[in-house]
Amino acid sequence: MRILLVEDDAEVARFVRKGLQEAGHNVEHAANGRDGLFLAASEQFDILVLDRMLPGGVDGVRLVETLRGQGNRTPVLFLSALSAVDERVKGLKAGGDDYLVKPFAFAELLARVEALGRRPTVEAPATRLKIADLEMDLLSRTVTRGGKRLEIQPREFRLLEHLMRHAGQVVTRTMLLEKVWDYHFDPQTNVIDVHVSRLRQKVDKGFDKPLIHTVRNAGYMIRAEG
Amino acid sequence: MPGTLEALLRFLRSAGFRFAVRFALIFIGATAVFALVFWYATAGSLDRQTDAALRTDALSLVERWREAGSAAVAEAIGERLASDVEGNSIYLLINPEGRRLAGNLDRWPQGVPAGTDWAFDTVQRDGLTTEARLNVMELGNGYRLAVGRDVTEKQRLRDLLAEGIAWSAFAALIFAVTGAAVLRRALEQRLLPAAQTAEAIASGDLSHRVPLSPRNDEFDRLGQSMNAMLDRIDRLMEGIRGVSDSIAHDLRTPIARARAKLEEAVVGPDDPETLRAAMERGITDLDNITRVFEALLRIAEAEAGSRRAAFAPIDLAPVLADVAEFYGVVAESRGQSLETDLPAALETVGDRDLLAQAAGNLIDNALKFAPEGGRVRLTARALPRERIEIAVEDSGPGLAPEDRARAGTRFFRADSSRATPGSGLGLSLVQAVARLHGGDLVLEDAPEELGGTPGLRATIRIGPA
Amino acid sequence: MLGTPAALGGVEPPARVTSDSKEYCTELAVRLAALPGSREEPARSLAADGIHLCETGHTRTGVAKLRRAIRAARGGD
Repeated sequence: MRILLVEDDAEVARFVRKGLQEAGHNVEHAANGRDGLFLAASEQFDILVLDRMLPGGVDGVRLVETLRGQGNRTPVLFLSALSAVDERVKGLKAGGDDYLVKPFAFAELLARVEALGRRPTVEAPATRLKIADLEMDLLSRTVTRGGKRLEIQPREFRLLEHLMRHAGQVVTRTMLLEKVWDYHFDPQTNVIDVHVSRLRQKVDKGFDKPLIHTVRNAGYMIRAEG
Repeated sequence: MPGTLEALLRFLRSAGFRFAVRFALIFIGATAVFALVFWYATAGSLDRQTDAALRTDALSLVERWREAGSAAVAEAIGERLASDVEGNSIYLLINPEGRRLAGNLDRWPQGVPAGTDWAFDTVQRDGLTTEARLNVMELGNGYRLAVGRDVTEKQRLRDLLAEGIAWSAFAALIFAVTGAAVLRRALEQRLLPAAQTAEAIASGDLSHRVPLSPRNDEFDRLGQSMNAMLDRIDRLMEGIRGVSDSIAHDLRTPIARARAKLEEAVVGPDDPETLRAAMERGITDLDNITRVFEALLRIAEAEAGSRRAAFAPIDLAPVLADVAEFYGVVAESRGQSLETDLPAALETVGDRDLLAQAAGNLIDNALKFAPEGGRVRLTARALPRERIEIAVEDSGPGLAPEDRARAGTRFFRADSSRATPGSGLGLSLVQAVARLHGGDLVLEDAPEELGGTPGLRATIRIGPA
Repeated sequence: MLGTPAALGGVEPPARVTSDSKEYCTELAVRLAALPGSREEPARSLAADGIHLCETGHTRTGVAKLRRAIRAARGGD
């Protein structure tokens, strides 16, 4: 993917850029909002990673507002040291698609970047999701594996759906917390792990090929090969 | 000199002075209106009476003229003059040649302009000049009639009235000025406590409050608002101080620990595996520090009340059910049971995420302290006056009464719970959230039926205070 | 001289009231004498007072007394 990183802190920028390049992405970097806006407006990117506060008169929010005003719909991930809820709301309102508070683990950033970048641009209303022999029917809200119906509770269904929509991508615990439960707080306990392990019991137990994988230091991933 | 001028200007610009001037102007205006009405009702009324009498008299003479001619009018005038005991009447009837036919004026008055029939004129009487009110009529054929009244008496009354009004105006002016001064002074006096308090605050002493009088008037309400504002600022400052204390005390320790481990790794054996493990531990430590930091900021945010802007109407019942379901799996994995007793709907206004987190923290705490196979119960019910009670009970060891009071303070961990994982911020956050929603956190013994020794029951009551 | 409008306003003295004079006293006395009730009290004594006052120079009070006498003689109030 072609990624534009707008970040004024040289060390963070270097670290993020290196990490993304190692993950196989092509990264352009701008150190201030003005240059960032120029690049974002003049070239094609798959995703923009923006610091919320930037020097040079154009901060992250202004940059996104300007781009969205020009009809540019490139997905935007905000990086910010501001964790207050209204800051997050402000960022998302301006047209940001995701919001990550500093300090962050690189794995978290990468997972979010890939989730955003590979998001289907046209929200095709898929009615079925399929990974190997695991099938999900979104209309009848049923899940089968190898033709056998799995007893799945509504919340587990949503959890599995989220994993399946991002098949082959790492989904972090925070992402699951935010996207599946819409919680933006620290649950104190490894609740997400417990939920995933319960789901895993239902999906993988009794089948020789596990589909839900734990990615060390990052999160979970559902994929066929493993 | 410029000093005094400046002081004078400042005085003139002061709100007190402006109020005072306004008061004086209104007072003077009222007095003027009063005087006008008084004048109209007395002197004016006298004038109007005189004019009406003259008119009637003149018209009746004109009537006489039409009926019986000039001789009859002359006779009537003579009659009228002869019976005028007050001696104020003036009549004059002249023929076309200007000769007097009847009346008591020696000639036609000059002060009456041609074309008008009403006039004030001076006439001589006993060698003195006096004021007379005259009504003049053309009778036809060049005969002219003047009917008048010596108004000296009335004039004297008018003068007396005018003098009286002038004196009262002067008195009113004095009252106005004095009243204005008193008003200004009173205003200054009443504002003084507030001003002094504000000054003391501005110079850094936040403990001052505006003294209130028992009158409970506008100034007291202003003082109350100021005091409420100051309390709020005080609480915010307290919060900031609390956060900085917490940072100082409780972030230093994990930072020091992380630092020590990393340093140890640097000087330790060069084995890449050991180094990597040390670095990973360092990162975990940093992550934990970040979590504590996040929790502190969130508590501060709740305590500062800045999140009240994000309040929205919510139905707490599904929110609590979700939280119970979310933590339910944890209970299950530990062989504990999480029971819920929730009503169908619990409407309130608040911050969904914070309330969910608060309920989650209570459940999480309860699950941590309840033994394996223990029970935790989440209940919620609506109280009168739109208040809501959320309670979490457990069958754990409970909390000693002396620890309960301190449980809401940051980083408090009962000695008996040192072994349990947690930042010690959970209950502080619950308390901050409860307070943000107009309530509080209460800790007490859980009911017997749950088992425990006895367990803890944590209740938050929220809703409009 | 009587009744000529003022040619020069300031110069000519203002009109004079003639009913405060001794002549008018006489006129009133004559008028009273013509009235039927003039010999009765209180008209008679009022008239006497009036005439006396007029003669002693208190014309105005004299005129007032005479006028009251006339009123009384007319049987008025």
